Amino acid sequence: MRVPILKLHNYLLVSIQIELDDQTAMEFQEDLLSKIHETGATGVVIDLTSVEVVDSFIAKVFGDVVSMADLMGAKVVFTGVQPAVSMTLIELGIYLKEVPTALDLEQGIIKLRQELEEK
Amino acid sequence: MKETLSSVVIKQEWDIVGARQAGRQVSQELGFGSVDQARIATAISELARNIYLYTDEGQITFEEVRDIPKVGLKIVAQDQGPGIKDLSAVMKDGYSTSGGLGAGLPGVKRLMDDFDLESNESGTKVTAIKWAR
Amino acid sequence: MDVKQVVLNNSDYLIDRWIHQLDNKSLKDYTSTISDDMINQMNQEFADFVMKSLQQEDSKIESLDQFAEKVVNLGWPFGYITEGLQTFRTESTKFVLDQLETNDKDEFIDVMERVNNWIDPLKIRLLNQYSTNWNNILSMQKLALEELSAPLIPVMDEITVMPLVGTIDTDRAKLIMENLLNGVVKNRTDVVLIDITGVPVVDTMVAHHIIQAAEAVRLLGATCILVGIRPEIAQTIVNLGIDLSQFPTKSSLKKGFETALQMTEQHIVSNESKHEDIEEVLDSIGKES
Repeated sequence: MRVPILKLHNYLLVSIQIELDDQTAMEFQEDLLSKIHETGATGVVIDLTSVEVVDSFIAKVFGDVVSMADLMGAKVVFTGVQPAVSMTLIELGIYLKEVPTALDLEQGIIKLRQELEEK
Repeated sequence: MKETLSSVVIKQEWDIVGARQAGRQVSQELGFGSVDQARIATAISELARNIYLYTDEGQITFEEVRDIPKVGLKIVAQDQGPGIKDLSAVMKDGYSTSGGLGAGLPGVKRLMDDFDLESNESGTKVTAIKWAR
Repeated sequence: MDVKQVVLNNSDYLIDRWIHQLDNKSLKDYTSTISDDMINQMNQEFADFVMKSLQQEDSKIESLDQFAEKVVNLGWPFGYITEGLQTFRTESTKFVLDQLETNDKDEFIDVMERVNNWIDPLKIRLLNQYSTNWNNILSMQKLALEELSAPLIPVMDEITVMPLVGTIDTDRAKLIMENLLNGVVKNRTDVVLIDITGVPVVDTMVAHHIIQAAEAVRLLGATCILVGIRPEIAQTIVNLGIDLSQFPTKSSLKKGFETALQMTEQHIVSNESKHEDIEEVLDSIGKES
């Protein structure tokens, strides 16, 4: 199973709707990076509203995606992190400090725009 | 008082997801809240991944435990792998031999209420309990 | 030998000895805050009650509950009750044995048993009354504490305040975090002001919980501002080497709110243009002179 990646102007929109196993997560990372390369997108919003569990591996993949996309000149914002997921991550000791976040898709796009303007 | 609820064999990567889905289901049946369900599922995911990464095969068992007046879920992750060489190092945040975040075992300890780790050359056994509030 | 009759026939003498004995004992410690008159009255009542319970066994359950309720409601220390009954037991046994003038072991045991049969039920009932009362108070307070644990108050679009009051332990911290995160998502909050004015002590553990809450809020995509930091709290935080530099802190809710307004690009505009009026008046004065 693959995670669909949608393009909207300069942005890529991703909504993760499936339970992520390690394999799918790695495939998603590759797909997203090649899509960024293909489209020259400058911003990515990844929505996690329907994600119920993020363990240390998935968290690492997410953190890596942010750094990798950054190297390719695209900003990534995560949106819709569930309270339970947020609490579990903090208790695991994973703070994802380098990962920009926003409440929902709308806020995420506003945040991207702000970050891109600042550059 | 103990009652084994279910058991999942960890052999392939996909079994990690299977284990946490099973864990989520039993925790729901035992009446855990949504945040505790996420804690339990995440802890199981970490334990299952350790089995998958470092050994050939292992097993995760869920038990219902009662300590009047509390009800709890006991997770036992057991394998016959090579064992953990440095027990105190794996309980430190940021320690990893596989390039991960090194949040696994200390993270599980924080997510759960009780935690116990036994390991020798013939295998590793992690026992963790979460009590329902 | 009827122990009951002996005790009843000499009840006045026994009560005297009992009260005398009480005064000599450490009972004073329990009741030091209560006036002597009150103690005397209570002692008399206690003694009457114990004697009465011996007299009329049938109706004793009711009067026992009444007495128990009374001492519990008046807040008399539990030690007073146990020590009082203990003294009664000792004095009665001593007295009856003196009367018997016997060295027979069986008779001695018999007297002991009879006295115990009289005193023990009293003790158990009173103890139950006390513990029921304590349990009630405890569960009520626990409920009350949970109720005022962590309210989340939306004050404006995108701005929410969470005042924390009282000591924060691990269980409460988890509850607070859950309320906080669910509230942020539900109210679509951009900025949360956590007010710790009402938190008496901020040690490393409490600070750790607050930092975790702030980090969790950030993961959701909102920002935490810690407000209500009193001077002594600032001192302990720095002295303990706690790093709170990752998120904004303000001394008062007012200042925090101003920051929150800036962050959400909102303004509060006063309807009355007082300043302009004053300026106009000043201007006109200037022109006149």
